[in-house]
Amino acid sequence: MERQLILAIGREYGSGGHDVAKLLSARFGLKLYDRELLALIAQENQVDEKDLEWYDEQRSSRLLFRRVNGFDNSPGANIALMQFDYIRRRAEEGESFVVVGRCGEEILRGRPGLISVFILADREFRLTRVMAERGTARAEADALIVRTDRRRRAYHDQHCGGRWGDARSYDLCINSARLGIEGTADLLERYIKARNREEMPEGQTW
Amino acid sequence: MQAQIIAVMIFLVMFVLIISDKIERHVVALGCGLLTLVLVLGICMGSAEAVAETLNLRSMLQPEFWYQHGGGVESAVGVNWSTILFIAGMMIMVEGMSEAGFFRWLCLMLAALVRYRTVPLFFVFMIVSAGLAMFIDSITVIMFLAAVTVELSRVLRFDPVPMILSEIFCANLGGAATMCGDPPNIIIGTSLGYSFFDFLENTGLLAGVSLIAVLLYFYAVFRKRLSAAEHGPKPGRTAPAPKSAIRDKGSFLTSCVIFCAAVALLMTHAQTGLTVALIGAVIAAVTLIAAGGKNAKKILRRVDYKTLLFFIGLFLVVGGLEQTGVLEALAVLIGRVSGGNGMLMVGIILWVSAIASAFVDNIPFAATMIPVIKSLSASQGIELPVLAWALTMGADIGGSATPIGASANVVGTAIAAKSGHPISWKKYCGPMVPAAILVVMISMVIIFIRYF
Repeated sequence: MERQLILAIGREYGSGGHDVAKLLSARFGLKLYDRELLALIAQENQVDEKDLEWYDEQRSSRLLFRRVNGFDNSPGANIALMQFDYIRRRAEEGESFVVVGRCGEEILRGRPGLISVFILADREFRLTRVMAERGTARAEADALIVRTDRRRRAYHDQHCGGRWGDARSYDLCINSARLGIEGTADLLERYIKARNREEMPEGQTW
Repeated sequence: MQAQIIAVMIFLVMFVLIISDKIERHVVALGCGLLTLVLVLGICMGSAEAVAETLNLRSMLQPEFWYQHGGGVESAVGVNWSTILFIAGMMIMVEGMSEAGFFRWLCLMLAALVRYRTVPLFFVFMIVSAGLAMFIDSITVIMFLAAVTVELSRVLRFDPVPMILSEIFCANLGGAATMCGDPPNIIIGTSLGYSFFDFLENTGLLAGVSLIAVLLYFYAVFRKRLSAAEHGPKPGRTAPAPKSAIRDKGSFLTSCVIFCAAVALLMTHAQTGLTVALIGAVIAAVTLIAAGGKNAKKILRRVDYKTLLFFIGLFLVVGGLEQTGVLEALAVLIGRVSGGNGMLMVGIILWVSAIASAFVDNIPFAATMIPVIKSLSASQGIELPVLAWALTMGADIGGSATPIGASANVVGTAIAAKSGHPISWKKYCGPMVPAAILVVMISMVIIFIRYF
C-alpha cells in the first residue's frame, strides 16, 4: 500500500537543486514539477506557454498593478496563484510528486507526506556550475546568481509567511557543495527513507 | 498657513498610501479623513463649524436632500452624502441583478443573437459594455462581460484579450456619458446641481461621437487577430445557453423591472424633483423587499462597504483642503498659467485630468478638482458647465490608458490573467493609450466648437 509523498525543494541559483530534485524523482518514481508546471497550466487553459513564461517566479509590483474587490491584475501574481492552485489540486488528488520552488513548502504546509528541503551551496561551487552550464564568464555568472536569487527571494517572500531560505521554514537545509549533487541526493534519499520508517504506519511505504 | 500645509501633507500621504497598496484604501482614506478633522479643522483652525460643515450630516435632514423642485445644489463642501447614498443604492440593485443572473444572461443572449461569430461579437460586446456602463458601475459590467468573453473564447477559439481591452475602454467611455455612469460624474453632478440630461446632452454627446470613433479604431487595431479566430466553435463543444444563466425566473423578472424603473427615475429626476439620494434609497429598498429576508441579507453582505467608506474618508480629506483655501490657491494658479484664456483653461483641465487619472484614482482627483473649477469659473468668468464637462471627460477617459487607471481596467485584466492571458503594461497601453488620446482629442475639439 502506498502513501502520498510530496517533496518540496527550494533552491539557490546554481546550487543544483533542480538536478537533485530530478534524481530524487527518478529514484522514488515521482513526477517532477518545475518549469513544466507552466506547460501543464497553459494546456489546461488553452493558451500559449510562451505567454506565461516571462512571469514565472516573478515578484509582482504593487506600484504597477492594483487590487480591486479581490481582483488582482498583476500577471506575476496570477500566474503564481495558478501554479499554487495546480499543485494543491494535485496534492488533494493524492498524487505523489516533487515540486521545485513555487513556494511548495508553504502552500502545502501541514499536508501529511510533505518533506520540505532547501538546497544552498557555496558561491564558488555555484559560480563553477553556472559558468559551465551557461558558458558565461565569471562576472556574468556572478551577476546572474545575484539577480536570480534576488528575484526568487522577492517572489517567495511576497507569497509566503516564512522567508526564502530561512531554516525554520524547511524540514532540512543542505549545502550541496559539501557532498556534490549525487551525494546530496543520496543523503536526501536516506533522510526520506528514515522519515518513512518513523512516520509510516506498518505496512505502508513511500 | 499651518493648517494648509498639514491639509496638503495629509492629502499627499493619502495618495501615496493608496498607490502603494500596502494598507486597504478605505482604511487609508478614513484615517486621513479623521486626521483632517482633528488636526486641520479642529486643532489648527479651531473651528467646530468647519468640522460640522465638512461632516455635512445636516444636509440629510434638509428636505432638499430628498426632493428638489427647480433644481437645487448639494453642498460641495465636505462629505457628499447624496453620492454615498446613491452609489449604495445602485450597489444593492446591481447585487440583486447579479444574483438573478441578469448580466450573464444578457451577455450570452447577445452572443447567441450574433450566432457566436467573433467580429460581430466584438462590436456587440463593446456597444453593450458602453450601454450598460451608462447606468451601472463599470466594475460590474466588466466582471460579467470579461468572464463571458473568456468562456466563449475557449469554445469559439479566439484570443479574448483584444475583446476584453475594447470592452474595458467602452465601459469607461459609456460611464462618462451619464451622471450615474462613473463615480466622478455623480460627485460632479450632485456637487454642481446637474441633472441626468445635462450630462447626457453634453458628455453623452462627446461619448457617443467618441464611441463611433473607438469602434472603428479598435476594429482597425485588432482586425487581424479577430479574423484569424473566425473558425467557429471547437468540435464537440457548444457555447452555454442564455437561459442557463437564469437562476430563478421570478427574481430575474423582478430585477429587470427594478433596473428599468431605476433608469426611468434617473432620466426624469430633473422633472420629478426626486434627488439621486432618494432614487438610491428607493431602489435599494425595493430590491431588498423583492429579494426577501434571506436573499436580502445575502445581497447586503455582498455590498462593497469598503468603497463607500473610502468615499467618505476621501470627502473629509478634500473638505480639509477646501476649508483651508488650498484648492482656491490651485485655481488661481491654473488661472494665471492660462492667462484667463478659456480655451487654454479647458485644455488644461481636460488633459491634466486625463493624464492624472491614468495613474491615480479618478475619484479623489475629481472630488479635489470640483472646488477648483468652481473657483476658476467665478474668478475667470468661464462657464462652469464647460469646465465640468472637460473635467468629467478627462477623469473618465484618462483612466482607460493604463492597467491601473480605473477599477474596470483592473477587474478586466485580472479576469484575463486568471484565465491564462496575462496582460503586461506594454500589451495594455499599446492599443489603449492611442484610444484615450483619440477620445480626449475628439472631446476637446467638440468642446471648443460647441462652447466657444
